[in-house]
Amino acid sequence: MNPIDSRIHQALDGEIPREALPPELRRVVERLESTAALLAAAPEGRSVADRVLARLHRQARSPVRRLARWLTAPHPVTLRIRPVWSLALAATLVLLTLLPEERSALVLGEHEGIAQFVARFPGAHSVQVVGSFNDWRTGTIPLEDRDGDGVWRAVVVLPAGAHEYMFVVDDERWVPDYSSNRFVEDDFGRENSVLIVQPVKG
Amino acid sequence: MDVREGPSDAEMVARVLGGDREAFGLIVRRYESGLLRFATRVLGGRDAAADAVAESLVRAYRHLASCRDPTRLRTWLYRIVANRCKSHLARRATGDVSLDDAPPIADPADNEAALERVEQLALVEQALATLSPDKREAFVLKHVEGMSYQEMAAVTGERIPTLKMRVHRAREALLKALEERS
Repeated sequence: MNPIDSRIHQALDGEIPREALPPELRRVVERLESTAALLAAAPEGRSVADRVLARLHRQARSPVRRLARWLTAPHPVTLRIRPVWSLALAATLVLLTLLPEERSALVLGEHEGIAQFVARFPGAHSVQVVGSFNDWRTGTIPLEDRDGDGVWRAVVVLPAGAHEYMFVVDDERWVPDYSSNRFVEDDFGRENSVLIVQPVKG
Repeated sequence: MDVREGPSDAEMVARVLGGDREAFGLIVRRYESGLLRFATRVLGGRDAAADAVAESLVRAYRHLASCRDPTRLRTWLYRIVANRCKSHLARRATGDVSLDDAPPIADPADNEAALERVEQLALVEQALATLSPDKREAFVLKHVEGMSYQEMAAVTGERIPTLKMRVHRAREALLKALEERS
């Protein structure tokens, strides 16, 4: 490759006016510019808008996705209970309340494990975790800081395997978990933390 | 910068995040022609470019909440497409560009100038295809998409001096390839 006169680069980068170039260098600048103009003006093919929107509609209509969304997104639920069932419900609630704490612990499936997220964000108003396990959606796994010491925690059951995740602080700042040992760069140029969940029942 | 009509990028992003899926159609229509042009030049084929852009836009929709600065939506979208193109090129055995679909064919009714333009475009596309993927990407972002080096840094994740060097080398390689073909 033959290096070209540095003034050509300077003119193309707007560092010097092209009028300052001798005619032979100006011709090279014009050649490169006309090449770029040709590439810019060429037809770029068919629109993909319909294809993209159809795929989004299909995703939205998927019954599995709708069920997953319903189960993970917070929403108000109204229960109408027949009088005859209300006594049974009250008795069940009393039983659940009286059960020892261990009994109400997380229930694990065969290929699931417990993930504990701990992060220090002093002064934050809210912290949540998003990742490949909740489709990177906010509003599904909040962390708690009950004693107000700036250390936020959440314990959740996740499928065994590797999961990418980040913390979302105050609904706007996306921050990787710097205490994680593993990171991976995503398509958006960020470093996601990686968590390996081991199955409890191996 | 180009002057646009309609809602701002930040407004459109807010509408989509508020549940208005149709607003994403506005985003797609605003940026798809530039994204398709960019991907076509980098990948060297319109079919592969359409696949890369469509996949990228679906991913962008699903991750839109992570677009931390919606005023920079354009560079964020280009970044996703650029990464998708890199993955696509890495999957190819040789990494070189194959012109997997024919260049535009001039209509017989077109005049002589149009025919000449098609021939010139084919020549330029072949010359561009001889550049390495990094140089091709740098040249297209700078001179075809008209980005500043700052915007290119946001798209590629590279440092500005690195990008400047790449653009310089790309210009030199492209001129050489054009000379060889003329």
